[in-house]
Amino acid sequence: MITDALVIGAGTAGLTAGIRLAHGGLRVAVVATGEGCLPLASGTIDVLGFAPDPVQSPLDALPGFLHANPEHPYRISGLAGLEQSLAWFVKTAEPLGYAGELTRNRWVPTVLGGLRPTALVPRSMAAADLGGGGKVLIAGIRGFRDFHPALLAANLGLASATPAPAIQARAIELDWPGSAGDMPAFRLARRLEDPEIRRRLADQLRSKLGDATAVGLPAVLGREKAAEVHADLEHRLGRPVFEIPGLPPSLPGLRLFDCLRRALLDAGGRLLLGSTVISATHHHDTVDSVTITRASRPVEVSAGFFVLATGGFATGGILRQPDGQLREPVFGLPVHGLAPGQEPFGDEYLAEHPLDRVGLSTDAQGRPLGAAGGPHAVNLYAAGAVLAGAVPWREKSGEGLSLSTGWHAAEAILGRRREDAA
Amino acid sequence: MTEALECQLLVIGGGSTGAGVAWDAALRGFQVILADRGDLATGTTGRFHGLLHSGGRYAVRDTSSARECARENEILRRVATESIEDTGGLFVSTPQDDPEYADRFLAGCGEAGIAVEEISPGEALRREPRLNPKVRRVFSVADGSIDSWKLVWGCARGAEQLGARILPYHPVTALLREGDRVVGGRLRDLRSGGDVEVRAECVINAAGAWSGQIAKMAGCEVGVRPGKGVMVAINHRLANCVVNRCNMPGDGDIVVPSHSVSVIGTTDTPVEDPDDIEPTAEEVAKMMTAGDILFPGFSQARALRVWSGARPLLPKSAVGSGDDRAVTRSHTVLRHAERDGVAGLVSIAGGKLTTYRLMAKDTVDAACAELGVERTCTTAETPLPGSTGRNYYRLADHQADFEKGRADNPIICECELVSQADVLEAARRHPKGQIDDLRRVLRIGMGPCQGGFCAFRTAALLHGHGEYDRAEANATLRAFVQERWKGQRQVLWGQQLRQARLDAWIFQGVLDIEHLPT
Repeated sequence: MITDALVIGAGTAGLTAGIRLAHGGLRVAVVATGEGCLPLASGTIDVLGFAPDPVQSPLDALPGFLHANPEHPYRISGLAGLEQSLAWFVKTAEPLGYAGELTRNRWVPTVLGGLRPTALVPRSMAAADLGGGGKVLIAGIRGFRDFHPALLAANLGLASATPAPAIQARAIELDWPGSAGDMPAFRLARRLEDPEIRRRLADQLRSKLGDATAVGLPAVLGREKAAEVHADLEHRLGRPVFEIPGLPPSLPGLRLFDCLRRALLDAGGRLLLGSTVISATHHHDTVDSVTITRASRPVEVSAGFFVLATGGFATGGILRQPDGQLREPVFGLPVHGLAPGQEPFGDEYLAEHPLDRVGLSTDAQGRPLGAAGGPHAVNLYAAGAVLAGAVPWREKSGEGLSLSTGWHAAEAILGRRREDAA
Repeated sequence: MTEALECQLLVIGGGSTGAGVAWDAALRGFQVILADRGDLATGTTGRFHGLLHSGGRYAVRDTSSARECARENEILRRVATESIEDTGGLFVSTPQDDPEYADRFLAGCGEAGIAVEEISPGEALRREPRLNPKVRRVFSVADGSIDSWKLVWGCARGAEQLGARILPYHPVTALLREGDRVVGGRLRDLRSGGDVEVRAECVINAAGAWSGQIAKMAGCEVGVRPGKGVMVAINHRLANCVVNRCNMPGDGDIVVPSHSVSVIGTTDTPVEDPDDIEPTAEEVAKMMTAGDILFPGFSQARALRVWSGARPLLPKSAVGSGDDRAVTRSHTVLRHAERDGVAGLVSIAGGKLTTYRLMAKDTVDAACAELGVERTCTTAETPLPGSTGRNYYRLADHQADFEKGRADNPIICECELVSQADVLEAARRHPKGQIDDLRRVLRIGMGPCQGGFCAFRTAALLHGHGEYDRAEANATLRAFVQERWKGQRQVLWGQQLRQARLDAWIFQGVLDIEHLPT
């Protein structure tokens, strides 16, 4: 197989790079071992939430944050690149109706009732911003094990992003038409695409709305027909409805995956899921090809450019061996961030651990460094959580850094192509 | 405010010995109060490998221990069936083991009355295909897998049904003395913060590795020497029976199937403080490497967790039988009236879980002597409450029970198949129990994800059912996550590290428990 660019990894960073390259006129293939990490994600676009104090405006906080964290992956695209990538994303994911601005974080409820800062939210969470207080009704579905409205509402009543007007949250539980039994989020989402089910839930809800100005529900409001499910519920209840994302697999994350996959395919890209890269061949300072598994058979893929977007430890992009050695399994790149002999973990689970920031170091263009210190190859870029220097879950920067570095890798490759053509 | 209670026997320590004493004494008609500083079975009892000894391990160097194990094994197989999985066990002589030990082993088993059968290496490999194919001789014995939490709660429930009071989270702060007599103990109720004064005719010090600390409160001495043993759990069963190396007992030479995991153990390092037993990276590495000798490739297996326990070892010198430095695995009952001139206090030290019933019997016999009464022990004939008319536990039983109520019963812990009804029932029986307390009776959070999914569900579910208020739910969730972290970080590599990072994604990213209101 021959392609202009091969992207390894189908999370936010990989899909962003793939779509952007395909839009730029390249033949692109995105290859991933599994289904990408988006089913784990909440579906919001976090840019910077804690630095480590709560961040109100990512735009204002980022210069100081980058100064304090000079190795952070945001340095690769810079602020301007981040803004461009977000604008590009909003346009690309247009069917999901993402909205927000870098000048003001939104504070959306977690499924436990805390408030989490994020920059962009999909339409289904547009009304979830409780940073300014509000009166909300939190409605659960009896028997749904991943959503417990009483604790959510009780915590929400105490949560506060900044000194902000209080949140008044009330909890109710709805009876699922028929037995909810052991209903995972997936199945609830599929059933909610049936208007009759929605009507019966809305009927239960309507009498209990009271003075609530918005209604929060578990993030199970449909998959393919999510826009219709959401609009219909808002129409029936006569007020805004928002989703509260919870444990994986997450519907908002899956919808984003569906949306970006469609964008990639529409742009002429290929998506090869269930394929793992098992080896790579080099020629001098260039990666020539990689061998992937395709239906359990090895297939060689030659490409002019490669983007490594395999993520961190959580997705297998970086491995730790029993002897403590850290390894990047695709190209064998050196993993940075932990001194030899340094303890990788501390005692306090919720504190930062030395292992948290490890990953690949890159040159200014986003090309991962090899053992000799310079770029491992002139045509290899890295993007997303495989990069060293960030603690995405703690600082709430995961999607921002995946979008900006994925977008930047694509821009760098497109720029090189233009140079070559000229 | 001090609450005042009275009983005949105050038992200090809620491990297998203390719970066994409570059950034994309650059956003999004594009024019993049992107190533990934490939950039941959270000391050495809850931190062992789950091995019901056939006696084979002690066959060569400690015949009396071996004989006790063999007899008790037989008894427990009648009275504690609920807690026992009848896995059977093998002693295998690998190329790294002294070939002459095998004959001594056979002779020792004969002397101690341990049923043993030599089988061919081929037959052993047929039974356990992952076993080292180079084993030279293999002996089949009646080892088993035993759930110490079920056992202890079985004893405690049985004692409660006979009128005993069980007081977890009640550390002893002082022993009450009147002249040369101990007449009770003062407890602190950790949940209410109040004090409880218990008057008793006899106090039984069953605090195991901590029994020296308790005896000291009465000005007596128990020369217990805590021995640290490290264990590692692997994410699935490498074998369906217990596998021991046929050699002088050493480090990492036993692998026990326990529920859905395998546990390798153990080490033996003397320690000063039984609470200072954190496993080290070197000890973990030693276990993983040692495992390769029994199961080639063991060191590459997915380790879930590591922990250690403190054996309550009693050097012979400490019992006053000469200068012999050897440590026996048998137990000793000390009547402080005879030894230190302090009446009303009996201590038990040494021993092991397999012989807990005998230890309890000997202890209650001593208490009877102390009280000047004669009452006969019946624990060898009386099944524990959960074990009445019941066969051994089988791994598949849990699955079968679970499937029965599946349709209307949400699953809370996928790894260990725990349903919402199970959680609510356990919470009802353990009022104000922390998630970690429920873990020991339900096994929630003990599988591969180590609580990544079920911890949140459990906290929120129990809040919804009024078991916790808001702040308690948040606190127990945080505490559970921290507790699970404790035994994980030494074994985080490969797939288990990946799992731990997924958990971090959930706890830090999705749930953001760090910024949750307190």
